[in-house]
Amino acid sequence: MAPLNLSHRRTHNLLLISKLLSLRDTASPLTLLQDSLEQPATPLIKEYIRRAKLSKVHVTLIAFETLKAPDGVDAFVSARHKSPENIVKEVAAAYQPSTSAAPSKRRLIIIDAINPLLSSRRLDAGFHLPTFLGSFIAPASPTAKADTSLVVTYHQDVPGLPQQNPYSPSPLTMLTYLATSIITLHSFSHILAQKAARDRSLVAPVFGLKEEQEGVLLGRLDKLRGTNAAEGIVLELEHRRKSGRGVLEWYLLPPASRYSPQQVKEIVTLLDDNVLYNPPMELDTNAGDEEPKSTFELGLTERQRREREGVVLPYFDAQQGNGPGEGGRILYDMGEEDDFDEEEDEI
Amino acid sequence: MSFRKRNIGLSAGVDRTAIPNAPAQPAPESIPGIRPSPDDGRPTTSTGTPSLDNLLAGHAGLPMGKSLLIEENGTTDFAGALLRYYAAEGVVQEQKVHVVGVPEQWGRSLPGLIGTAESLNDKRSDKRKDEKMKIAWRYERLGEFGAGIAGSRDAPAPASTGEQDGKPQAAFCHAFDLTKRLAHPSITNMTFTPVVPSRESPFTAILKRLQTAIASDSPNTIHRIVIPSLLNPTTYPPNACMPEYVLQFLHGLKALMSAYATRVTAMITLPLSLFPRSSGLVSWVELLSDGVIELCPFPHSSDALAASGGATSSEEPPQGMLKTHRLPVLHERGGGSDQNVGLDWAFILSRRRFEIKPFSLPPDEGDKEAQEAPASGGMPKKSDLEF
Amino acid sequence: MPSQPPLPPLLAPYLSAQPEASLTLVSSILGATSNWLTLRFLHASLSTSSNLNASLGLGESHNGSKKVVLVSFLRGWEFWRAEAKRLGLDLARLADKKQFAFVDGLSELFSAPQTVNAMPSVPSIASGPTRTSLPFRSQPGAVPGRGPPSAAPALAMNNDNLARSQTEQGIVKKLHFSGRGIAALDALERDIASVIQLQKSSMEDGEELLLIIDQPDFLLAATGPVMGIGATEMAEWVSGLQQHVHATIVTLAADSPLIHNASTSGHQMATPVESEHAAFAISLAHRARSVMQLRTLETGAARDVSGVLRISRGGGADDSVEERELLYYIQRDGGLSVFGRGES
Repeated sequence: MAPLNLSHRRTHNLLLISKLLSLRDTASPLTLLQDSLEQPATPLIKEYIRRAKLSKVHVTLIAFETLKAPDGVDAFVSARHKSPENIVKEVAAAYQPSTSAAPSKRRLIIIDAINPLLSSRRLDAGFHLPTFLGSFIAPASPTAKADTSLVVTYHQDVPGLPQQNPYSPSPLTMLTYLATSIITLHSFSHILAQKAARDRSLVAPVFGLKEEQEGVLLGRLDKLRGTNAAEGIVLELEHRRKSGRGVLEWYLLPPASRYSPQQVKEIVTLLDDNVLYNPPMELDTNAGDEEPKSTFELGLTERQRREREGVVLPYFDAQQGNGPGEGGRILYDMGEEDDFDEEEDEI
Repeated sequence: MSFRKRNIGLSAGVDRTAIPNAPAQPAPESIPGIRPSPDDGRPTTSTGTPSLDNLLAGHAGLPMGKSLLIEENGTTDFAGALLRYYAAEGVVQEQKVHVVGVPEQWGRSLPGLIGTAESLNDKRSDKRKDEKMKIAWRYERLGEFGAGIAGSRDAPAPASTGEQDGKPQAAFCHAFDLTKRLAHPSITNMTFTPVVPSRESPFTAILKRLQTAIASDSPNTIHRIVIPSLLNPTTYPPNACMPEYVLQFLHGLKALMSAYATRVTAMITLPLSLFPRSSGLVSWVELLSDGVIELCPFPHSSDALAASGGATSSEEPPQGMLKTHRLPVLHERGGGSDQNVGLDWAFILSRRRFEIKPFSLPPDEGDKEAQEAPASGGMPKKSDLEF
Repeated sequence: MPSQPPLPPLLAPYLSAQPEASLTLVSSILGATSNWLTLRFLHASLSTSSNLNASLGLGESHNGSKKVVLVSFLRGWEFWRAEAKRLGLDLARLADKKQFAFVDGLSELFSAPQTVNAMPSVPSIASGPTRTSLPFRSQPGAVPGRGPPSAAPALAMNNDNLARSQTEQGIVKKLHFSGRGIAALDALERDIASVIQLQKSSMEDGEELLLIIDQPDFLLAATGPVMGIGATEMAEWVSGLQQHVHATIVTLAADSPLIHNASTSGHQMATPVESEHAAFAISLAHRARSVMQLRTLETGAARDVSGVLRISRGGGADDSVEERELLYYIQRDGGLSVFGRGES
């Protein structure tokens, strides 16, 4: 990657992730977090909440899995035993913009896991996922500015129900289509292991459930404390700009213990900027220095090399040796200057 | 090993002192066919196959209240033979045998009694003594496995029965001959519960019958539940393999056995060709059983290969491999610490016995000839030198 | 092998001190069952000697005393009582002291109680005689301790039966599954919750209630989508129960067919049993604070190793869980030793 390109990416894409995570300008009304047991989304959700607190955004958590409201959540809506309509109602009731005059606060709604909803048997056939999600984002009145961001977590490794209607797209397909940005989470240490394998042209290792080892739900123990070198979460971001253009970038979110909860400065970095992932390349000139020097010029210029390759050596054909006596023929292309007489001369 | 002192480690002092040091009722050896396990004293009964008894994690029998699942690959019926031994042993010990799903003809095909297992073993070991010199000593221990461990395990039984006014010790396990038919007065005590197809679970009626039979019986009667070829479509209706039916049945069976934990044992066979181990349903069937044993018969065409598998030419070739996936009591407690763990087993079914013994890979075909040449010729010389 | 205390030091930090509202998932397979670990959880919470941990600086000081409610779907009261006895825990006595309660999901879960057997309301098989014989039986009712091998579970059947049905009274709540779908699950939840409330009624300040649900996955397998119960409903059921207690421990099976057949890389369609089980197990792992996975050695069985215990952080983890992989060995006498790979 050319250095210029990288610095351009750095500026733009870091600004983008910063905007997305801090919910500025409602850059992404619907964000889909795809996580797995190997890298749960919990730390990223905590990061969302942390930033929301810093910028005084109202946070609502719709809890399909969580039992206890995490710190920083303003409204906690347990979805247990509730129909989608009731959830929507409760969420709407959880936050009333105080007065129409005051600038209404922005709002973040987090769904901690959408899987239970998608595979619930209590849903009637009339349940429509886009309407459900849309009802959270849609502004209360047509004149109001859309100021709600919805963050939805989807566990990739939880098997879903078979489709009731085989012709309709699967819920995950629908989610990825609806989402304005999709963040897929990976464990940094796994990414490093996979890169190391790729660099050696080996088959990339798999972890956890994909190992298909009996009795293993969660992967190898490389997240051990103490080996903090490889801590962090890799975010694979796919963002659809309003212009319709897409952006694909890989980021690294350091573990929460590395920065203060009040830190405003961006902490996410590009994955390519990480020293572990992308060790700094030794420059070629430096590499050359190490070779022993000679007083002779042993190299060839490009032109010299090309001409040397063009030369056909005499007796080149002879090396094929089609039989005894066949070798040793002299190959010679007649030139203009050759005065060849068919009768006396022979080759 | 089995006689080692059992200590509970450094455990709660308070609780321990609270236990009245009640010497629990000295086991009245009133019930034939039951003996305390040499491992922990729990009552056990024989499966009718001595080497299978010995496989069961040091209990030298099937502990009461436990079930054994025998799975079999292919279309052979070795598991059926084990099941017949089990049922026949129950008949001979005058236990109540409940057979599920097969007609009464099954009961008439039980193998005939030819004596106690010990008597057969004695004959065998006599024969072995003659052959002794042929067997390298380190294999000998393995070869005697069926007899040897059984012998040592027998020790506690006489200790407890010996005081019983010098009565001759009741046999724990008998020997049967598959070619003969069992004739025993108590054979009429066997009950056969048919599978009646119904729209609801076909098992409900079966379970109810078993429950009533066991609950209403005198508390000193021992029961055996025999379920041949569970879910076999020739006996079971198609809906029987729905998990909510078969798993609820097995759960009910487990409940029944834990309610009458000292009176009931069960043995179930399952055809793996129809219900492979890789399916979740079979996983659950296994998880609901106390012991799981898998039989993998060698394919017929490889008879020649198998024939070379015996350690010596005089031994019968193994007919298949046997895997123990779970053993009663042992795995319930967490597994491990079994002497036999980690060994490969082979089984041989002959007319008179189903024998399980350690499996060793057959030597190469070429090797076999090399082996046989000296065997026919100057064998004694060599063994004399080695020992 | 050196003998270790009932709670080996390597394991103790994971057994005591469950934070509030936390879920601990224990997964087992056919050849590596979880009962021993469940018993260690019981021991860590109920044994008075667990102060030992505090003195070792392992447990937090708040493990004053705990109450435990154990819901078991695959094993009966008799099993737990006898096995806990081997650890020096007298569950019957603890139940009398309202420290412990057992909810029986085995005996009568799917079958209505037999008429011959004790109906829940009817005291016992033959109430009259039992009552009269109570005094002299109450002593062995506290269970024959470990003794000479022949002394353990009595061969005397009738005594055994009577003693059991008598001790079970008041201690054991039997679950009954009836109906279908959420309503049936709700009924089960109410039954368990009533036991929990009963325990709570005698709770002192600082006491914590631990709920152990042993293999609720069986309930899912034996009912399934046909009866309107799926992984989502089961997971909701578990979280409903979680709300009643301080911390929860759930054990379930993680055998390969039950977990991996459902993954998309599968070759054929997964059966409902498989996909529902996988969904249930994985979604619980997403909620769990820590996941304790039991399995056998990959290299085949060994004489001095029963299996491998891997402790991982679940989806709901904080950084307080230290991930480890340990080997364990259950001795014949029930003793446990836990050690790292390469140690012994």
